[in-house]
Amino acid sequence: MSPKPDARRVGARSGGRQVHLGPEVGQVVGRFELEGAWLVDPVSGREGPGEIVVTDGLLESVVWLKGTEAAGVDDKGVVVAPGFFDLHAHFREPGFEDAETIASGSAAAAHGGYTSVALMPNTSPALDEPGVMERIRSAARAGGSPLEILAFGAVSAGRAGDQLSAMGELADAGVLGFSDDGAPVRTPKLLRSALLYAGMLGLPVVDHAEDSELTAGAEAHEGYVASVMGLAGWPAAAEVNAVSRDLAVLEDALRDEPRARLHLAHVSTAAALALVRRAKAAGLPVTCDVTPHHLALADEWIAGARRWSWEALGADGTSRDPWADGALHATPYNTALRVNPPLRTPADAAACLAALLDGTADAVATDHAPHTVVDKEVEFGLAANGISGIETALGVLLALVDAGRLPLARALAALTVGPAGVVASWPRLATTPAARRRGLTEGAPADLVVFDRADRWRVTPEALRSKGKNSPLLGRDLSGRVLLTVAGGRLAYEDREADSTES
Amino acid sequence: MGAEGSIAVAWNHRHLIDLDAVTWPEIELIMRTTDEMKGVLARPIRRVPALNGRRVTMLFYEASTRTRVSFETAARNLSADVVSIATATSSVTKGESLVDTIRTLEALGAEILVMRHSVSGAPYLAADIFGGHVLNGGDGWHAHPTQALLDLYTMREHLPDGDLHGRKVAIVGDILHSRVARSNIWSLTAAGADLWLCGPATLLRGFDRWAAAWSGGAIPGHGRFNVTSDIDAALRDADVVMALRIQRERMQGGLLPSLREYAARFGLNAERVALAKPEAIVMHPGPMNEGVEIAPDVAVSGRAVITEQVANGVAVRMALLYLLAGVHETARTGESIR
Repeated sequence: MSPKPDARRVGARSGGRQVHLGPEVGQVVGRFELEGAWLVDPVSGREGPGEIVVTDGLLESVVWLKGTEAAGVDDKGVVVAPGFFDLHAHFREPGFEDAETIASGSAAAAHGGYTSVALMPNTSPALDEPGVMERIRSAARAGGSPLEILAFGAVSAGRAGDQLSAMGELADAGVLGFSDDGAPVRTPKLLRSALLYAGMLGLPVVDHAEDSELTAGAEAHEGYVASVMGLAGWPAAAEVNAVSRDLAVLEDALRDEPRARLHLAHVSTAAALALVRRAKAAGLPVTCDVTPHHLALADEWIAGARRWSWEALGADGTSRDPWADGALHATPYNTALRVNPPLRTPADAAACLAALLDGTADAVATDHAPHTVVDKEVEFGLAANGISGIETALGVLLALVDAGRLPLARALAALTVGPAGVVASWPRLATTPAARRRGLTEGAPADLVVFDRADRWRVTPEALRSKGKNSPLLGRDLSGRVLLTVAGGRLAYEDREADSTES
Repeated sequence: MGAEGSIAVAWNHRHLIDLDAVTWPEIELIMRTTDEMKGVLARPIRRVPALNGRRVTMLFYEASTRTRVSFETAARNLSADVVSIATATSSVTKGESLVDTIRTLEALGAEILVMRHSVSGAPYLAADIFGGHVLNGGDGWHAHPTQALLDLYTMREHLPDGDLHGRKVAIVGDILHSRVARSNIWSLTAAGADLWLCGPATLLRGFDRWAAAWSGGAIPGHGRFNVTSDIDAALRDADVVMALRIQRERMQGGLLPSLREYAARFGLNAERVALAKPEAIVMHPGPMNEGVEIAPDVAVSGRAVITEQVANGVAVRMALLYLLAGVHETARTGESIR
């Protein structure tokens, strides 16, 4: 592809923000410059005013501006960062293509600023043998998206919790690790075998930590809100118990297989995060992630509250009462809020944030879980669990940044070097592309996202590229409209509406 | 309007799903309207044309003969056309969605939907898509507003000046799974009653936290309440004693050792009821398990007002159908269902 003679430019908040690059999704981007943007490089830890030049898909130069050149550029406008990496998403293919496909999920991810996505194996058939991996790969190729599509294989055959899946073949086929996500690894005995066998392969077990006995029939986090609303309680103890089990079994397995690795997905309670913190301090090879919705939403949303979790905290750090505050405005029992693990208390959300800030949580992962209208437009207790969240993750984290609760660089690190570091801690993958350092590296294929913190966009069914419109944020304005996503030097997403608004 | 110096209150709720969004003056309006309806019921011909030609549809996803008949009687007393649909919740899980059903009923002309459902919150989903009025006949563990209102009406009939302020009301039984208890918490704390919830710890789970949250008078218009497993403390000097039904499934769920043990420790027998005030009344929302949560002699004693509750239920439901039917388009502009 020949260089574009007319270099395109992005100016921070000057109204000259134009990024129409010409090529279609999947094509190598030609030449373009971004001037006067706020650059964030999570690898070096550096951020500041700068400009980048991309030529024929390569990040040709990264220039940090100083003095008068940098005047007027701050971190409140256009930001350039490495492309995001989601450790946990559901694209539903094969088997549930009415909810999402690799193609629609990739489009949604690119719209959210992601350039790499790790898919969970709860498809139909489950990703429990290499043939399914091949189907996913060929669907990704056919879709034309340049996103890096990675996947976890199942721990057990058919995710049934009985026998191990074809782990060795799956490893050879390139899975990132093993998970029965959607459900926990059913028994401690199976978990021990999985940790040992996966450890032998240099890969992790990713557990959805839930004691299913304690959560049978559960509808909402067990606490004040569920009590008032007559919803069957989903106790924090179910997560704490499972995390505790997992850590004990990991410690045991390590004696036989030092390469055993455990990653805990979407940890949501203060008590479970405290266990992870302690285990990490003791040197156990465990990592974990938290989701945007567990950081920013709380169980009171089910009753009709719509304030961010940190706005629902009392001065002493405890959860406020939405009834007492007169904070209930939306129709209660919105099934978009039904998710597993459930939305917890504002105090738990604050614990998720604290874990992100102190490194107990290694990454933010979306647990993007699209569902059809048929599965969500039903009674709360009968609705499918899950939030369509890969397109709103950045906006939700920026709300935390805007509120002064999370530094911008830390938020972006949790979407880039955080997940990459998790993968790098898995021996088989430490030197593979999936574990590459996500920085603004000159000479490498351009893999980046450009968004404008000063530009808010409204979350609507039409705005979401995902087939899953099950977002509790519908109708809400989020800051940080994504203008451009480039994955591996190819165009993944471009905001063409931004063009049309320019006169 | 403005009868006896009371402040004129207009009813402008399009639906009645829970009492959390209903103010005390609105509850008093319901009580006054119920008075009028009791007047109708005292006539030789118990029928007025108030809802003549209006279509009231009963959609019951959970078997409940007495509640359904009470609503049907109320609607017929107001000369409404009544259609009853009984369906098992299991058909919902078989792919017949509530949303489809509601749209179909609306197309068939339903104007007021009386709904009973086993899943908490289901009437909000119905109200979200239905063009008419939704009157909740009980949803899951969540709310049973007409029951709480008929309970309140019955208590007021038996208390001096109909005033519950400082009056001790003890509700005993399976609080955890009870929509009757939850709705009564809203109405009785609004009435200023000294409310006590009592049951075994397994059937009170979460209510301590709820009571603690409300203990400081945090909720505007609602007072505090007490939660205890000490049946004697709950009943002592009570003005009103209410037993809730205990279901056999609670034993299979590992929440109770046996119905026999429940009866021995929490059943309302004559000895326990004697702890309450001499003039105290005994209530039960029905259907009763006599010999479990209430002893047969207590259920038929002079203190029991259980059949009065049934009769008042018709009047309260007439009042609510009448009030809801009077709400016009102008009141339907708010975006929230609350």
